[in-house]
Amino acid sequence: MVQSVKPIPSTWCPGCGDFGVLAAVKKAAVEAGVPTHEEVLVGGIGCSGGIHNFLETNGIHALHGRLLAQAVGVKLANPKLTVIAAGGDGDGYAIGMGHFIHAFKKNVSILYIVMNNETYGLTKGQASPTSRIGFEGNVEQPFDAILTALSIPAPNFIARTFSGDPKTMTQVLVEAIRFNRANRGFAFVEDLSPCVTYNDTFKLWRERVVDISKLPGYDATDRKAVFRLCLETMDAGKIPIGVMHRPAETEPASALELKLLPDLVGPAAADIALEPNLAGYDRLLKSLA
Amino acid sequence: MTIPAARTAPFVNESGPGEAPPVRELSDLAVLIGGQGGDGTLTVSDLLGRYFRLKNLYVYMTRNVLSRIRGGHADASIRASREPIAAAKPQVDMLVAFDPEAVEIGMADLVPGGTILYDASVFHSDVPNAVGFPFATLVGSQLGQPIYKNTAAYGAISVMMGFDADLTRSVIESRFKRRSPEALEKNLKALEIGRKAAIDAGIADRYRVLDGDAKDQILTTGNQAVALGFVVAGGRFFAGYPITPATEIMEYLMRYLPPFHGVVRQAEDELAAINMVIGASYAGARAMTSTSGPGLSLMTEGIGHAGTAEIPIVVADCQRVGPSTGEPTRHEQSDLSHLAHLGHGDFPRFILAPGTIDDCFRMTIDAVNLADKWRLPVILLLDQALSQNSVTSTPLSLDGVHVDRGKLLPKDLFDQLTTYKHYLLTEDGISPHVPPGTLGAFAQVTGNEHDEFGHVSVNPVNRVKMMDKRMGKMVHAKAELPPPHLFGDANAKIGLIGFGSTWGPIREAQQVLALKGVPTRFYQARTLWPVPTETLGPFLDSVQVAYVVEHNYAGQFAAMIRETLPQHHAKLRSITKFDGFSFRSPEIVRRVQEA
Repeated sequence: MVQSVKPIPSTWCPGCGDFGVLAAVKKAAVEAGVPTHEEVLVGGIGCSGGIHNFLETNGIHALHGRLLAQAVGVKLANPKLTVIAAGGDGDGYAIGMGHFIHAFKKNVSILYIVMNNETYGLTKGQASPTSRIGFEGNVEQPFDAILTALSIPAPNFIARTFSGDPKTMTQVLVEAIRFNRANRGFAFVEDLSPCVTYNDTFKLWRERVVDISKLPGYDATDRKAVFRLCLETMDAGKIPIGVMHRPAETEPASALELKLLPDLVGPAAADIALEPNLAGYDRLLKSLA
Repeated sequence: MTIPAARTAPFVNESGPGEAPPVRELSDLAVLIGGQGGDGTLTVSDLLGRYFRLKNLYVYMTRNVLSRIRGGHADASIRASREPIAAAKPQVDMLVAFDPEAVEIGMADLVPGGTILYDASVFHSDVPNAVGFPFATLVGSQLGQPIYKNTAAYGAISVMMGFDADLTRSVIESRFKRRSPEALEKNLKALEIGRKAAIDAGIADRYRVLDGDAKDQILTTGNQAVALGFVVAGGRFFAGYPITPATEIMEYLMRYLPPFHGVVRQAEDELAAINMVIGASYAGARAMTSTSGPGLSLMTEGIGHAGTAEIPIVVADCQRVGPSTGEPTRHEQSDLSHLAHLGHGDFPRFILAPGTIDDCFRMTIDAVNLADKWRLPVILLLDQALSQNSVTSTPLSLDGVHVDRGKLLPKDLFDQLTTYKHYLLTEDGISPHVPPGTLGAFAQVTGNEHDEFGHVSVNPVNRVKMMDKRMGKMVHAKAELPPPHLFGDANAKIGLIGFGSTWGPIREAQQVLALKGVPTRFYQARTLWPVPTETLGPFLDSVQVAYVVEHNYAGQFAAMIRETLPQHHAKLRSITKFDGFSFRSPEIVRRVQEA
């Protein structure tokens, strides 16, 4: 057996919410049957973006805010890979916002986990796009990723979890990875992951989170009802969590990679030697004459 | 300018010459067609191009459009010659004007006694040798829509130039047969309207265009040749964002790549495009993007990432006038300094500059192979003229094309390893590697400084080793980079240095200078970075003076040569042009002779 890259000890502060995500990702990948050599973790910049270093897997440490674009490139080049992008709320909702919105629209089967701690931890506690009003002098409206995600009418998987409940998080991630592996499209999971050093919200969030998916009659395929329920929950001073949207089982898989590569043989697997392509190349070049 | 009432009769002789001039025999001719955007000037140029190709002439076609869909003055020029050409003709023989601006602009370049053919339903011209036909009115009254006026103008030109009537007609058929039957029928009628008007006016056969023997040539653009080169090189992933003058590369690849398991994506911006390309390349695909100045500025971040994370990418930069949005549709070569030094921090990159259609094809293949082998970003540097002008070229061939995947480890070699390090330190700086998805290996990459396994590291000893590994590639790879092409008299004491589309005007200037008894030698630089000092040094040794011909204000390439070969400082002169238009050979000839 070849000795390859090994995980290094985590650099996170003791008690960081990201540990919950690390453990859940590890468990979920195994439970969803992902061979480790076919898994690619794409990390962003910030504390959470280092996650791939702490796992035995393939990994890209992407540029700040660009992890989704790189993850999409990986998946479209080799649809056989299971691609998990993971970063923070600054990475995804500030500098990476353009790519975030387009990820729903593109609907490539990758999983994007945002570890939302409502602050820029690595640069020592500045306000982030999700920071509450008053935090570090923030006077801007905090951004809500779930409402944004729900507003894009694409057949994505959308969920919010809480690092204080790693069991549910693992279940949600397993479902998300399976959704990806069935080429059903983009999966987005926002995990509420407190920064114990600059914004320790464990206690506050534990009191406030409401798993709306456990409410009677809840239907995650009913986008309109879930949107309303989220708004009502937020109006009541609570934070809605749970699976917020999944397309109906009966809906056929429609991920972008299926539309572009019906046989799922992508650019990385294509035989690019000259010989087998000669006839095709010849036709192309002759079309100029 | 007052617009006269619509007329249906031609203006021949009202402003034209008193007597019919003698027939002019042309072996190298140029027609300039100008009008408002939407007048169909490009169509006229395209039709003429098709005709001249049927006559086996070499062709060079330019377009000068504004950055808007309709309106504003736009013109197109076509040159046809019995000799190979790679530049616009310094003067035009015939000017076709759909608006008065076309006459104002085009007059300066018209040869003495040249003809002006204009749409008299739009304006009236008193310029000598101007022949007015109310194309729009004639066509509008007979076909119901004036939009076919451009085809009527083509008909009139064909009569004046003594075109073969059947071939003239077959050009219309080949151009419009794939459109609706109605479009074909109306264009054929418009052609006859234009022909009849010219015949009736007694201006037939003022010219005679000599046949050529350029039989086996193709007519294409640099952008199309780049797209074809990418496919043949095994390029299978492309992401880009629309930008003039690079967009056609993406559009061609959208057509070419899907049958080869290829993927082409139009991204949300250039940041996404370059990062999608990085992701795809990491996954093992040969990947490229194309852009122009403003997009390049945004991609700079990603190019630096690819340089330090050692991810092979090709970036085709089709230069236009900068900085900022500059002049989107106009020609310049002013991205070079930025490219040579782009990004924060030090990282290796190669800049290759094709000068001809064949270069565009072959050097795209070189760029893809070099990027893959040396695991770094390669910039393919084009300019607007090279990207978009249609030129005859020898057919692109697969002879000598090869796919070099460098140290990509085949399974049997990988299985012999005891340890897999994605960033293994080696003498030439290239780490043997496998893509993600390989059983037994994990590929971890990062733009942070890292150790051999790809773990983030700030160890100073490791830092120095990794910097030496990456930067050393620019030294180790030098012998593999595209060599210059040298033209002209090996004993000449006057040197000319250029890159990109200046190849054409410089070659023409050389011929003119040689006839005047001034021998020159031309160094066509095809690798710009690292500066090819091994070949440039001896070249500069061999001449007493060298003119660096380039399209920018600062003399960017000249400055790079001065920096790397300071001993030749005094020999170097700059010939620059930055008005948005390509050099024409007399401008170079004059500058050389002035000295």
